[in-house]
Amino acid sequence: MQISVYVALALLVLTAIGYLVGRRQAFVAAAGRPSELHSLPSYYGYYLALWTGVPALILLALYGLTGTSLVNTLAMGELEREAAPLIRAYDTQLAQDPDLSRLNDAIAQLEADAQVARSELDKARRDGGEVAAYQRSLGDLTVELNRLQGEISQVQDRIAASIAVRAPDNLAGDRARAGFEYWRATPDRRDLFLTDARALAFGEGFASRNSSALIAAGDAMRPWDEMFRWSSAGLAMAMALGGLTWMRRQITVTFRARNRLEGVVSFALFAMSGIAILTTLGIVLSLLFESIRFFAAIDWRIHEFLFGLQWSPQIAIRADQVGQTGAFGAVPLFAGTALITLVAMCVAVPVGLFAAIYLSEYASSRFRAIAKPVLEILAGVPTVVYGFFALLTVGPFIRDAAVLLGYEDAVTQSALSAGLVMGIMIIPFVSSLSDDVINAVPQSLRDGAYAMGATKSEAVRHVVLPAALPGIVGAILLAVSRAIGETMIVVMAAGQGANLTANPLESVTTITVQIVMLITGDQEFESAKTLSAFALALVLFALTLFLNIAALRVVERFRERYE
Amino acid sequence: MTAYEKLQAGASVRQETLYHPVEGSYTTKVATKNVTVHYGDKSALNGVSIEIPACTVTSFIGPSGCGKSTFLRSINRMNDTIDNARVSGSILIDGEEVNDRNVDPVVLRARVGMVFQKPNPFPKTIYENVAYGPRIHGLAADKDQLDAIVETSLRKAGLWDEVADRLDQPGTSLSGGQQQRLVIARAIAVNPEVILMDEPCSALDPIATARIEELIDELRENYTLIIVTHSMAQAARVSQMTAFFHLGSLVEYGPTEEIFTNPRDQRTQDYITGRFG
Ligand SMILES: Nc1ncnc2c1ncn2[C@@H]1O[C@H](COP(=O)(O)OP(=O)(O)OP(=O)(O)O)[C@@H](O)[C@H]1O
Ligand SMILES: [Mg+2]
Repeated sequence: MQISVYVALALLVLTAIGYLVGRRQAFVAAAGRPSELHSLPSYYGYYLALWTGVPALILLALYGLTGTSLVNTLAMGELEREAAPLIRAYDTQLAQDPDLSRLNDAIAQLEADAQVARSELDKARRDGGEVAAYQRSLGDLTVELNRLQGEISQVQDRIAASIAVRAPDNLAGDRARAGFEYWRATPDRRDLFLTDARALAFGEGFASRNSSALIAAGDAMRPWDEMFRWSSAGLAMAMALGGLTWMRRQITVTFRARNRLEGVVSFALFAMSGIAILTTLGIVLSLLFESIRFFAAIDWRIHEFLFGLQWSPQIAIRADQVGQTGAFGAVPLFAGTALITLVAMCVAVPVGLFAAIYLSEYASSRFRAIAKPVLEILAGVPTVVYGFFALLTVGPFIRDAAVLLGYEDAVTQSALSAGLVMGIMIIPFVSSLSDDVINAVPQSLRDGAYAMGATKSEAVRHVVLPAALPGIVGAILLAVSRAIGETMIVVMAAGQGANLTANPLESVTTITVQIVMLITGDQEFESAKTLSAFALALVLFALTLFLNIAALRVVERFRERYE
Repeated sequence: MTAYEKLQAGASVRQETLYHPVEGSYTTKVATKNVTVHYGDKSALNGVSIEIPACTVTSFIGPSGCGKSTFLRSINRMNDTIDNARVSGSILIDGEEVNDRNVDPVVLRARVGMVFQKPNPFPKTIYENVAYGPRIHGLAADKDQLDAIVETSLRKAGLWDEVADRLDQPGTSLSGGQQQRLVIARAIAVNPEVILMDEPCSALDPIATARIEELIDELRENYTLIIVTHSMAQAARVSQMTAFFHLGSLVEYGPTEEIFTNPRDQRTQDYITGRFG
C-alpha cells in the first residue's frame, strides 16, 4: 500500500517535470523563436507530461486491480503443492470409509425415489388428478436428502481433521495444513480464508478467526506481495522515465503537438461516453439474464407472466420448499400502473400545459421571472415527501369524501390519491417541457396570426398550439414514462393489493411497488419470487425505453420543422 | 347579402369615392401626426407625420434601424403585442383615430393586413391558411362561399394555378416565393383596405421577387399598399410615393420620381446614391 502511494506521488512529480521539460525542449528546438513552432510551447509540455504520467499510472492501476488476486493465487498454489501428501491421504481415507459408502448408497436410493415421485407428480398434474399427496412425499424425500448430505459432510470433516494432525508441528506442517484446508474449502469459504489470512498478514481489516494455518498462509503471501509491489513500482518509474526521454527526443519544430493532444482529448472523451454507454448496456444485460433465469424457473410460461390475471408470488422460506412457485400473472400490476398513470396524467397534463401557455403567452415578464423558478422548485421536492403527503393528507381526505358520498368501502391507500399526488409531482415536468416547445414556436407565426386580426387565445389555439403539438406530445410521453417509473409515491400511497380493478378508489399495486416488495428484506435470492422482480424490471425498462424513444422522435421532428 | 358580399360591395364603393382620376390626385388613406414610439426608455421613432394616398404603393426606405418597421407596425397596432413598446401621436385611417380606446385592434387588423419579411404560413394546409382570416371574422356563410374566397384570394395572389390541385397540403411545403404569395393571399382574403409589407422580397430570388412586384402592382388597383424595402430599384419600380427615414425621423417624402431624380435633402441624396456612411 505505502509503496504504491509513494510511487504515485513520485509519478505526479515526474509528470509535472515532464510538462516543464517538454516546454523547455520546445523552446530549445525552436532556437529561441517560439513562433517557428508548430504549436504553442505549452502543448509540447502537456504532451510530454501525458507520456510521462499516463502509461505508468495505468500500470499502477492495473496492479491495484489484479495484484491481490494474483498474489493470492500464487501463494495458495505453492501451499497446495506442499499439501499434496495430506490430500492424497485424505482421498484414500475417503474411499475406504465404510460410513461414507453406506451414506452414498442411501442418497442414490433417495434420489431415484424422488425421480419417480416427480414423474408421478407431473403425470397427476397432466391428468388433473390429486397432487397434494405426491407433493408431500416429494417434500419428505427432499428433507431426508438434506439430512444425509449434512451427515456426509460431518464424516468428511472428521476424516479431514484426523489427517491434518498428521502433519508435523512446525512451519512446514502449518503450511501444508493451510494448503489442505484451502483445497477442501468451497468457493465462498476460500474467499473467507484468503480475507482472514490477509488480515493477519497485512492488517487489512479484522480477521474472523486465528490459526497457525492462517498465519502460515499469510506469511506465504508476503514475499509474493513484496515482489509484486517493488516490481510494479520499478516498472512504473521506468515507464515514466522512458516515456519522458523518448518523447523528449521527438520534439522538433514541426512536431504537431497540438493535433496529437487533440487526439488524446477526443479519445479521453470517447472513453468517458463509452463508460456511460457500457454501464447502461451492462445493466440491461444483467436484467435480461436474470429475467431469463426467472422464465426458466416458471418453465418458460412467459405468456402466463405477461397475460396472467393473478399475482401472488408466495414467500419462499427455503429453496426446496414445495409449492414455492406462486402465481406470476403480471396483468394486475400493469393495470394498476396504467390506472395510476392515467390519474396522474389527468392532473398533470391540463394543469401543466395551461400553466405553460399562461407563462409563455400571457404572463408579464416580471410574473414569469418569479413563477418559473417557483414551479421548478416543485420539481425539486423529494418524492418521499410527496409520498407522505399522499398517505397522510390526500389519502384520508379522499376516503372521507368517498364515504360521505356513500361509497362505504373506500380505503386510505387508493389509486386515486397516489395518482393525484403523482400528477402534482409531474406538473413542473410537463409545464417546463411544454414551455420550451411553445417558446420554440417562432414569433413570426404569432405575428402572422395577430396581423390577421386574431385575438390572443385564437392565436394560441389556432397557430401556436398546432405548431407546438408534436413537442407537447413528446413532453407528455416523457411525463408518462416518468409516471410509470415513479416508485416512492406509489409504495407509500397506493397500497399493495394486486387488485385487478378500474376503480380508482380501490388500492392497487404497480410494477415498481412489486419490485421493491420482492427485492427488499431477507429473501432467497435464487427463488422464482425474487427473480420475478428482474422480469418486472425488464418490462418496465422496455416500456419506458419505448416511450422515451417515441417522445424523442416526436420532439426531434418538431425541431427539424423550425430549424 | 352575406357579410362578405357586403364587405366586397363596400370596398368597391369606397374605392370609387376615394379615387379622383380627373384631377390625377388621391384621397388620403392613412394620415399620421407626430407619431413617436419608445421601446422602454429608448426612442425608436420621433414625431413622424405623413399622409399616404389611397390605392397607391408607398415605399419606406432608409438605413437599417431607422424605424421603418416600427412605423409600419404602429399603423395596425402590432406594437401592442410588444411588451415594452409605447406609441404616442395620432394615426388616422379614413379619418378615424387608430389609437382610440374604442378601436378594437382585432378589427383594425382585419382592415389593415400585413405581410412579413420571412414568409410565415401557419402550420395548416394551404386552404386553411387562406381561409383562416375569413373563418375567424365570420366572413363566409357556408363552405361554398369559403371556397370562393379562397380561390379568388389565391388567384389575386397569382398562386391559384400552382396550388389548385394541392390545397390540402401543408402551407410549409411550398417554396419560399410561393409561401410569400400564400401569405399575401391570406392577407387579402379578409379584403383589407391597407396592406403593409415589411421587406416582402428580402428572402426571395430575383424571379420570385419579380413575381411579387408584379402582384403588388396589380393589387394597387384595389388596395392601399405600404412596403418597406432596402432595394432602391424595387422602390423605384413599384411605388408611386417614397418616404425616406433616418434615425427615427421622416426626412423626405414625395412622389417616387422626384425623390429619386431630385431629392431635396442631402441625406436622401447620399442614401439613394449609396454614399451613405
Ligand atoms: N422589440 C424591440 N425592443 C426594443 N427595441 C426595438 C425593438 N424593435 C426594434 N427596436 C429598436 O428600434 C429601432 C428601430 O427598429 P426597426 O425594426 O423599426 O428598424 P428598421 O428600420 O425596420 O430596420 P431594418 O431595416 O433593419 O429592418 C432600432 O434601433 C431597434 O433596435
Ligand atoms: Mg425592419
